[in-house]
Amino acid sequence: MSLTLSRSETDRPDRPGPSPKTVRRPGFERLGPLPWIGPAVLLILAVVVWPVYEMIHTSFQRISPSGFVRGPAGLDKYRKLLGETDLVHVLTVTVVWTLVVVGVTMILSLALAQLFNQEFPGRRLTRWALIAPWAASVLMTAISFKWMLNQTAGVLNTAMVDLGIIDSPRDWLGDPSTAWPWMMFVAIFVSLPFTTYTLLAGLQTVPAELYEAADVDGAGTWRTYRLITLPLLRPAFLVGVVINLINVFNSFPVIWGMTRGGPSSDTATTTVFMYQLKDTDIGESAAMSVVNFALVVIMVLLFLKVSRWNEEDNR
Amino acid sequence: MKNRVLALVAACTTGVLALTACGSTGGGTSADGTVTLKLVAADYGDKAGNSSKAYWDDLATRFQAANPKIRIDVQVVNWNDIDKQVRTMVQSGNQPDVLQTGGYADKVADNLLYKVDDVLPVATQANLISTFATAGQVDGVQYGIPFVSSARAFFYNKALFAQAGITEAPKTWEDVRKDAELLKAKVPGITPYALPLGPEEAQGESVMWELGNGGGITGTSGGYSLDSPANVDTFRWLRSGLVDTGLTYANPAATDRKTAFADFAAGKAAMLNGHPSLIQMAKDGKVDYGVAAIPGKDGALKSTLGVADWTMAFKKNGHKEQIKRFLDFAYRKENTLKFDELYNLMPVTQDTLKEMTSSGRHKDLEPFFALLPQASFYPLGKTSWDNVSAEIKKSIGTAVKDDPARVLGDLQKKAEAAAADR
Repeated sequence: MSLTLSRSETDRPDRPGPSPKTVRRPGFERLGPLPWIGPAVLLILAVVVWPVYEMIHTSFQRISPSGFVRGPAGLDKYRKLLGETDLVHVLTVTVVWTLVVVGVTMILSLALAQLFNQEFPGRRLTRWALIAPWAASVLMTAISFKWMLNQTAGVLNTAMVDLGIIDSPRDWLGDPSTAWPWMMFVAIFVSLPFTTYTLLAGLQTVPAELYEAADVDGAGTWRTYRLITLPLLRPAFLVGVVINLINVFNSFPVIWGMTRGGPSSDTATTTVFMYQLKDTDIGESAAMSVVNFALVVIMVLLFLKVSRWNEEDNR
Repeated sequence: MKNRVLALVAACTTGVLALTACGSTGGGTSADGTVTLKLVAADYGDKAGNSSKAYWDDLATRFQAANPKIRIDVQVVNWNDIDKQVRTMVQSGNQPDVLQTGGYADKVADNLLYKVDDVLPVATQANLISTFATAGQVDGVQYGIPFVSSARAFFYNKALFAQAGITEAPKTWEDVRKDAELLKAKVPGITPYALPLGPEEAQGESVMWELGNGGGITGTSGGYSLDSPANVDTFRWLRSGLVDTGLTYANPAATDRKTAFADFAAGKAAMLNGHPSLIQMAKDGKVDYGVAAIPGKDGALKSTLGVADWTMAFKKNGHKEQIKRFLDFAYRKENTLKFDELYNLMPVTQDTLKEMTSSGRHKDLEPFFALLPQASFYPLGKTSWDNVSAEIKKSIGTAVKDDPARVLGDLQKKAEAAAADR
């Protein structure tokens, strides 16, 4: 240590060049930006690439119920997964679940963002209130709704009976046909804040002059909205859709908190189904994870292609 | 100079970290030779007030007083989560030393457990009731140590029966249906028969009905026979007799046993299959209950479902001697008796059984003592049973809504695959 120190001291006066560092550490310079992005790359390798590798690796192994590797499984786990009688149903409902929850969330958020973009008394308070479902843990929200819907003691059941909407308390979450709408309701409820704020941020970037010009030209409210607001909201809208697609597709706490995917796998999406498989076969569960992972990637790529994401830059 | 100091500080810090890391991975043995045994046990309590945690903490305190070199780290986990939590512990290499739960055979398949000969003193082994000791064997070698046992019986609410004008307990399935209809007509608002086929205990409820039709989990050849005609027939009857007619819960597949027991103890369910712990719950709820043999298709069952829960010792940490001392202590009469009496469970050791039958304090358990000798068990010695049981818990409930032949056929396929996968 003392050696390098002394050498650098003697070196300094001889080199009048603007960057003495370059000369002293040519190897370092040759690395280019690597030293700066290196830590980030390592981090990505450790927390993203390695788990993905482990997941794929696990799906090709035979693992005992207690978690011991018994040897390679080849494609057996994928064959077993494709042989699951519930799989088709699970895939179908996952598509419906994602489309309905994201679709309704986006439409409601557009309206809410528009509302919150207006000046009105109490706006600050209502904007804060909208954060509540976001700030609360999703699992907590899901479990709260589960108890509010409880057949014997649930406050929502009691309220609906008192209001005459239903004759007697119902076991909403025990029957898939009523459990699905309720779970979608909760999923939309927890997705609204983020989406609304994204769109609200987008709305605030629309220049006021454009609206003034439209006003002068005599464009009506709807026309202004359709021709000015919506196109300019596009980037924010796309971000909202993509993030919601991934979130809702992977949504686990809402379903797990309310029905655990049951009875059987009747209220399971692929993510929940993957978790259920974990109880009996880790390898098969990993195979489901791989399929899930592929589905998310394909879905997002498809969406970006269809929505011509990159056109933003070319405009 | 400054750099050198920094380097020194860094080196020291690394060293200290390394040292502490070594200390915590020493397999539960600390510097002064004290061994910590990790005990994981299931919670038999139905509310915070009677959690098994209190029993084990007290046992551990007394054991530690007598064995200062051994510490017991007690973890009590509820029945819904214990299988998953134990699996996570095993997968992460953080295995317990002693585990008390519902099944043991899957751990034998992975060679995780000590043989009973290694960890249980001969005198304690001889004290186990022999049928239970045999049920703890896999391929002739005993790995599972029975902990408590219980048998199932049919419970009914006498007050509700009187209101509906029913004078005696049902003996056949048709009796159950007729009584349930009477109850539904005369006492509106209650659940006539509580059928819990939710994931908590669906394997128990389903087999009690299957036995009534000569069915069951395994056939005469010893293999799984989940989709036998008798079993399919049983679920057809449950569907048409109880579920479609609204004589039980609207969604049995999503209703756990916990709910059924709570409803019975609150006087909101008139009939169900229960086990002895329901006696205390019913008394607490001031329910005047009756106990009878489980109704079968053509007459009351001569046998019943017997259940034992198990203790097992894991090899990983190598604490054989300490485990032996602990188990010797835990299986002493005063301790097992205390646990059995706390939850109205039946003993698995001969001295405790003698004490309980002769003390005259357990009149309410006598119908169960009588049932135990003819009890049939789950196929516990099959290493695939835990896996199959998990599949049954998950989906057999849907057989009372969907097509029973399809649901059971699917389960049978999975069971056969699990049995073949060793």
